[in-house]
Amino acid sequence: MPTRAPRRRRNLAPVVFVAPFLLLFLLTFALPIGYAVYQSVMDVEYTGSLGLGGSHTVFVALSNYSDALSDHAFLRSIGRVLLFAVVQVPVMVVLSAGLALLLDSASAKGVRFFRAAFFLPYGVPGVIASILWGFLYVPGVSPLVDGMRHLGLSVDLLGGNTVLWSIANIVTWEFAGYNVLVLVAQLRTIPAELYEAARIDGASAWATVRHVKLPLLRPALILTTVFTIIGTLQLFAEPLVLKPVSSSIDSAYTPNLSAYNEAFTNDNYHLAAAEAVLLALAAFVLSFGFLRLINKRGGDA
Amino acid sequence: MSRTTHLRRSRVALAVTLAAASLLISACGGSTGSKDPAVQKPVKPGQKVDLRFWSWVPGVDKAVDKWNATHPDIRVKLEKIPAGSSGGYAKMRAALKSGNAPDLAQVEYQEIPSFLLENGLVNLSQYGADKDRSKFVDWQWQQGVFDKAVYAIPQASGPMGLFYRSDLFKKWGITPPATWDEFAQAAQKIHDADPKAYISTFPAGNSAWFTALAWQAGAKWFGVNGDTWSVNIDSPQTLKVAAFWDDLRSKKVIKTEPDFANGWYKDLQTGGITSWVSAQWGDAIISGNAPRTTGKWAVAPMPQWTKGSNVSANWGGSSTAVLKGAKHIPEALKFAEWLNTDPTSVDLLLQGGYGWPAAADGYKGSSLDKPSQFFGGQKYNEVFAEADKNIDNSWKWIPTIDATYQHLNDGFQAALAGKGTFVSAVKQAQKQTVEDLKKKGLKVSTGQ
Repeated sequence: MPTRAPRRRRNLAPVVFVAPFLLLFLLTFALPIGYAVYQSVMDVEYTGSLGLGGSHTVFVALSNYSDALSDHAFLRSIGRVLLFAVVQVPVMVVLSAGLALLLDSASAKGVRFFRAAFFLPYGVPGVIASILWGFLYVPGVSPLVDGMRHLGLSVDLLGGNTVLWSIANIVTWEFAGYNVLVLVAQLRTIPAELYEAARIDGASAWATVRHVKLPLLRPALILTTVFTIIGTLQLFAEPLVLKPVSSSIDSAYTPNLSAYNEAFTNDNYHLAAAEAVLLALAAFVLSFGFLRLINKRGGDA
Repeated sequence: MSRTTHLRRSRVALAVTLAAASLLISACGGSTGSKDPAVQKPVKPGQKVDLRFWSWVPGVDKAVDKWNATHPDIRVKLEKIPAGSSGGYAKMRAALKSGNAPDLAQVEYQEIPSFLLENGLVNLSQYGADKDRSKFVDWQWQQGVFDKAVYAIPQASGPMGLFYRSDLFKKWGITPPATWDEFAQAAQKIHDADPKAYISTFPAGNSAWFTALAWQAGAKWFGVNGDTWSVNIDSPQTLKVAAFWDDLRSKKVIKTEPDFANGWYKDLQTGGITSWVSAQWGDAIISGNAPRTTGKWAVAPMPQWTKGSNVSANWGGSSTAVLKGAKHIPEALKFAEWLNTDPTSVDLLLQGGYGWPAAADGYKGSSLDKPSQFFGGQKYNEVFAEADKNIDNSWKWIPTIDATYQHLNDGFQAALAGKGTFVSAVKQAQKQTVEDLKKKGLKVSTGQ
């Protein structure tokens, strides 16, 4: 029977190891969030003739939140990213899973090349990707739009009904490759014996995918779905970069853009803080809601 | 956990941290009183002084170099910042709140009230700035005057005219429109002559441009009544301008692409857009971006609402302000005055393309006062010199102008997307602007 280590030391060790992380976590994560919450319940008031007599900060409870939630433009921006997510999340997950399965199939040639090719866009910063695609969207400059016009297709890729999907295209281009990599990594962990067993049982390639690969891919699929949900809610760089070339992207096109404009254009930090907190809450509720839903249906994430 | 989460997370974290950082800064400022510190005295002759100056104006570096070469005791250190609306003002406000503002900074006319509200500008009347008044165009001087005190030294403005493609106009038998009615007819003729060509675009995302058109039509959006800001955006004059462009838009004889964007530059180069109602500084934009159209452009006065009248407007305009917390105010004022009136400095700034000089005698004999090869040998700045005299000089701004611009932009963009009209956007912006001011705890009245 092994001797037990003294109890106290055993309890102290984790604390010592975790302390640096906890400290950094508090400083860089908890503190800014706490501060944003604090600022979201404050506001600035001006005094004197024309308001030029000075200013002071006052506690306004939840009035910034009610302002944000009664602002139609902000509400529309939330609706817009939800609509975006409803389309973008399935497209992203199905596309990534499809590409990953193709790359993983035994007969695939040039796997390394395609893996690198799919992943490449992820190395391009979002801002650059948006500038690049922006050139391909602007009529008169874009060979894509001009080419389509020659074929008799006149599509305004930056118009009111299309620009959201033009953004979806950029986002898919940027992140699908990364998700493919995550999924391929998961597929590689499936033991060869399972395939062998399936083959002995006479399973077709499609049956192997359905009954072996997809169930075992589940944790990675859940992971990529959650990332995509969070990512779409935070849509920011793409609309910001496309804004100058599209008449259809307004200052509150997405919740993030709205908070950014309130803070840095309108000098309205307190309202911006409230909007940021609301967005964080929405991301929290949706991603954990999704995880709960999945876990209730059985299986572990 | 994969890197995607990290990336995505770090984006939220970045947004939250950014917001928090700026909030932190604003909190440090705490309550700002209106009490001015004791008036500073000029330093003794021979004592060396260092000034910090934030600006984004092209060519200002050369003027600063010139000052440093001729004024060894007062050394100005120029720090280039992003243009005001692209982050420059956010930087300045943060610096003001954290008590680390530069001595001098570039402030556009429309932003002066908002900096005043933040208690960010030094009352220069206490330092004898009023004696410089006669050196500047009067209305531009007035842009920095509040409650009889001077808060900014004017630098430049943007009197407006009509840039047009003289070669194409001639080919299609169109004369430069003298009235807005003629402008509408010309729009139709141009589009009929070449389905790919338009008279101009309506830049939905650029309300400053629309504001200038309303200004010309006789609107007075903002004013001050005692201790109350007045807002009158939805006046008949503004609605007339909005309806005019609504009409052209519904007839599809104008473009609706954004200005200062790739497609628009391309249209300037290829004749997709054949004219541009713009400020004097538009000359550098056209010649810089469409160099192959040399000799094909000309300038005419802005189209008029009443035939035979001669009203212009202003688009843009900038000043040099001394910020609260400046350590050497008398010296900073001296530099600001030199920068914007000294003929050498004005000429260096003109060559950089900073706009129309605010100095009363800045134009005569300057590099602007010459025929231009790009504009077909026309001495085109005569048009702007005339326009400069015909601007309604009583135009005023409010402290929440950025938000107003945004409301207009959003409304115009919605109209292009099929939701509402330019007219309804203007009416909506009026309501929203009143709300903006009320939310800041300011008194607001509507109407003139």
